[in-house]
Amino acid sequence: MLRVFKNIKGDKAIWAVVALLAVFSFLPVYSASSNLVYVVGNGTTTGHLIKHALLLFLGFGIIFGVHRIPSHFFKGLSIIAMPIVLVLLVFTLAQGDTIAGANASRWIRIPFVGITFQTSNLATVVLMIYVARYLTKIKDKTIRFKESILPLWVPVFLVVLLILPANFSTAAILFSMVLLLCFLGGYPLKYIFGIVGTGMVCLTFFILTAKAAPDLFPNRVDTWISRVESFWNPEDTEADYQIEKAKIAIASGGIVGKGAGKSVQKNFLPQSSSDFIYAIIVEEYGLVGGFVLMFFYLFLLFRIVVVANGNGTIFGKLLVLGVGLPIVFQALINMAVAVELFPVTGQTLPLISSGGTSSWMTCLAIGIILSASNKDNDIERKTLDIDDSNPLQVLSGQL
Amino acid sequence: MAVTDKTILKRLYFVTGFLFLFAGAVLFKLVNIQMVQGEKYRKLAHKRTEKLFTIEPNRGNLYSDDGSLLATSVSKYTIRFDALTVKDADFKENVKPLSDALAQLLGETSSHYQQLLRKAKANKNRYALIARNLDYSEYMAVKDFPLFRKGPYKGGLIIEQKIVREHPLGKIAERSVGYERVDENGYYTRVGLEGAFGQYLRGVEGKRLKQKIAKGQWKPIGFDNIVEPKDGYDVVSTIDINIQDIAHHALLGQLEKYKADHGCVIVMETATGEVKAISNLGRTEAGKYYERLNYAIGESHEPGSTFKLMNLVAGLEDKVIDTSDVYDTERGYWRIYRHRIKDSKRGGYGKISLAKAFEVSSNTAFAKMVHESYKENPEKYVDRLYSMQLNQELGLPIKGEGTPVIRYPDEKGWSGLSLAQMAYGYEVSMTPLQVLSFYNAIANDGEMVKPRLIKEVKEWNTTIQKFDKEVINPAICSRETVEKVQHLLANVVSKKHGTGHKLYSTNFSMAGKTGTAQKNYASKDPDKLRYISSFAGYFPAENPKYSCIVVIHEPDKSVGYYGADVSGPVFKSIAQKVYTSSPLIDEVDMEKVEDQTLEKSYQKYFAEAQKKYNKVPNVKGMCGMDAVSILENLGIEVEVKGNGKVKRQSVSQGTDLNTVDKIVLELS
Repeated sequence: MLRVFKNIKGDKAIWAVVALLAVFSFLPVYSASSNLVYVVGNGTTTGHLIKHALLLFLGFGIIFGVHRIPSHFFKGLSIIAMPIVLVLLVFTLAQGDTIAGANASRWIRIPFVGITFQTSNLATVVLMIYVARYLTKIKDKTIRFKESILPLWVPVFLVVLLILPANFSTAAILFSMVLLLCFLGGYPLKYIFGIVGTGMVCLTFFILTAKAAPDLFPNRVDTWISRVESFWNPEDTEADYQIEKAKIAIASGGIVGKGAGKSVQKNFLPQSSSDFIYAIIVEEYGLVGGFVLMFFYLFLLFRIVVVANGNGTIFGKLLVLGVGLPIVFQALINMAVAVELFPVTGQTLPLISSGGTSSWMTCLAIGIILSASNKDNDIERKTLDIDDSNPLQVLSGQL
Repeated sequence: MAVTDKTILKRLYFVTGFLFLFAGAVLFKLVNIQMVQGEKYRKLAHKRTEKLFTIEPNRGNLYSDDGSLLATSVSKYTIRFDALTVKDADFKENVKPLSDALAQLLGETSSHYQQLLRKAKANKNRYALIARNLDYSEYMAVKDFPLFRKGPYKGGLIIEQKIVREHPLGKIAERSVGYERVDENGYYTRVGLEGAFGQYLRGVEGKRLKQKIAKGQWKPIGFDNIVEPKDGYDVVSTIDINIQDIAHHALLGQLEKYKADHGCVIVMETATGEVKAISNLGRTEAGKYYERLNYAIGESHEPGSTFKLMNLVAGLEDKVIDTSDVYDTERGYWRIYRHRIKDSKRGGYGKISLAKAFEVSSNTAFAKMVHESYKENPEKYVDRLYSMQLNQELGLPIKGEGTPVIRYPDEKGWSGLSLAQMAYGYEVSMTPLQVLSFYNAIANDGEMVKPRLIKEVKEWNTTIQKFDKEVINPAICSRETVEKVQHLLANVVSKKHGTGHKLYSTNFSMAGKTGTAQKNYASKDPDKLRYISSFAGYFPAENPKYSCIVVIHEPDKSVGYYGADVSGPVFKSIAQKVYTSSPLIDEVDMEKVEDQTLEKSYQKYFAEAQKKYNKVPNVKGMCGMDAVSILENLGIEVEVKGNGKVKRQSVSQGTDLNTVDKIVLELS
């Protein structure tokens, strides 16, 4: 164990925040698991606790392992991973699992292990690195739109479109994160606006097709529309049920909350251990808990900016921002949903929710950030000179 | 385009700024929900998730005066079967043994239960009724039956428990024991003792706050109940189950014999007013009788001749008459204001004293007596009756006491005829218990006590409240009047000409008055004429212990209707049985037989037994029994051969006791 601690590198503040969040996450997850056990009738509370502990343990294993990899390796890895991700996404979508008649094929089952795995999470991380790599490559050129279509936008649209039918919110967030990264990476603004326009057109086309021919391919268009409608519609609808419960939870929390495990609404709020966990946290720990949690995420954002600032390479900077900002952004979206600032999406609260394997992808991202914050990796970098335009060099083991 | 650290940083600050703004918006909304909308949602939270549950307290027991249970709460169980939750293999294997076990316990055939269970299984019935109202021991047995012992999920056993009120005495005094029911609007129906003493028996409901955790599931909040349930107190009533039993069966027998519509009996302890028995039986369409309504307390009717006692007492108290006054009964009827008052004996009794008129129950004599004595001043008569509390309800805790009616002169319904009618018990109305209270006052030497059904309120063995005798009127009339009428009441039974002479017994004494009142006499159709036969009195005639009234409504005229015939026998059999069941104190002198030889031999043995021995004594010549007891008291084991007197002892006289363990005696 001591050896492991000795080998911990990178930004200690990020380590601390992540560890704190992980430790804290046991409380709301254990509390909310009573909903799964006694209402849904799924497993035992201890079982859920152990599962969460195992997932987090493995997650920290991932962080530790990944943060030891020098950050420039991720360039090549993203190129290798891209086709694999695409295949997995196609495979996931082709399964055609449905939730109440709507397509919800977000997970694939890992053979032999029996754990389900949400491919879109992996795709997000890989795509962001891929985009960061591309932006680094063109940093000194004056790029024309046509040139960037094949290496940048084709992979982006492929990934986004493959996620879209089953998971609109993830696709939308991913797309905006890619645009955000392009904006940060100096990609011309006029092209970004063009792409946003294209994206809108694509989405409209998709929705219209789905509406006109609902049986053509499985989709969840109706769910999205009803969710967005119920958000704007002041009248009570069925979809308001969750948000009302969430608000009841927040309102009954008060300044200091009801105390650990004493939430009442966890029993009525569907997804209380994942999508609506922020409401449960506020109910149990009050405004104080809600503010402290928000502070941790903003502190994480601050450290990400600091790490990006401190990293000597353009790729390093874009890499940290590319995988780091989505974590913070997802956290903010999750909280915004709970306070009815945003329509209901299926986004979990990173590092807190018992989201299963999705937390591993968050860990992967954290690991990458920590790797970029590790100055030792930079030193190594200077001793090597490689042409990272050829991915085969990655494979040849010259790095 | 030349991306540099600086351009990235500039844009990054912009993005970070936006994210901080976003976070600020989230926090603002959070505070807004808590502070501005908070009240609304907190109310919603309470409304949707918290509920006050009541915990029913255990109702107290109702006891008779000797501590026998009259009413108690017990658990009853209904067994149902969920056919869907049971595995097919389990069902197949167990359906036969289960049916056999059920058949053995519940008395139906095994095939009946097999069919029932198989049908439930085929129809996927999740709530098939197996048996209702099982008691605790039966329920415990069913729980251990094949299949059912696997429990609710694997065995499909569904158990519903409810608390019911059980009456160990069964139908006897059912109406007087009564019940208390509350409907969904919180309205109480209170009958009998249960209703009257509900405030003691009921206890206090507990309250417990529970929180909804899922549909139909509630968990208690907090460690303590908000209000602890308090079990009801036990109530000891004055009912004596032996007398109650006697009264019930005597009344039932007579009702059946006379095919009467309904009747009631009350037995009251003279000195204390404790009601020892109260029985009310009404007839069903099928001609069976059951405790239908509390006639004894609730039914106010024209008492008829039993009311003559009240008139006699009134007249004597006002000193307007005397028992020796002579009245002419003419030829059995007396015409007054074109109304004929008849005597039951055709041709009348001639000129008789008022005392005899009471004993033979002459209507004409009494009508004349009251009419003539009070016609100048009817108010005086009614005031006298009022002063004896005859117009007042007794104020019983049992709901529904009938109101007595005694009109005041010039009140609506009063006429010139009223005095004559009231003289033999018409134009007045009283309940049996009210009449009895008056008779009891006479038996009790003028002291009118309130009839009482409750003796004590207890919590386990602690007395919470004791109820003592309540006096309504310490003296309704003078001592002299009491003695006169007591004498006359005894004469009704003991004198040959008395209307109650049929009840006369040489073994025990009774006193009382018969009554035969007409009912529906306004109708012109003689077929519709009905009778109320009654007998009110007390026993023994001297030093009365109990007073008793029997009222039987609408006996079959073809069988009989006179009070002495219909109601009298009930009174008599109660008196008789209460007598025989009350132990008499009697001494039997045993002659002492003295036997000289027995006495002598005992003296001899006693002398031997008193001595202290260090050595084995000589027991030769002693009775075997004496020898054994002496030797065994010395700690020696004795073996006896033969019987009679000791002929030989195996250890000789004078041997040291410590060396001897056993001795053999030969007897002859």
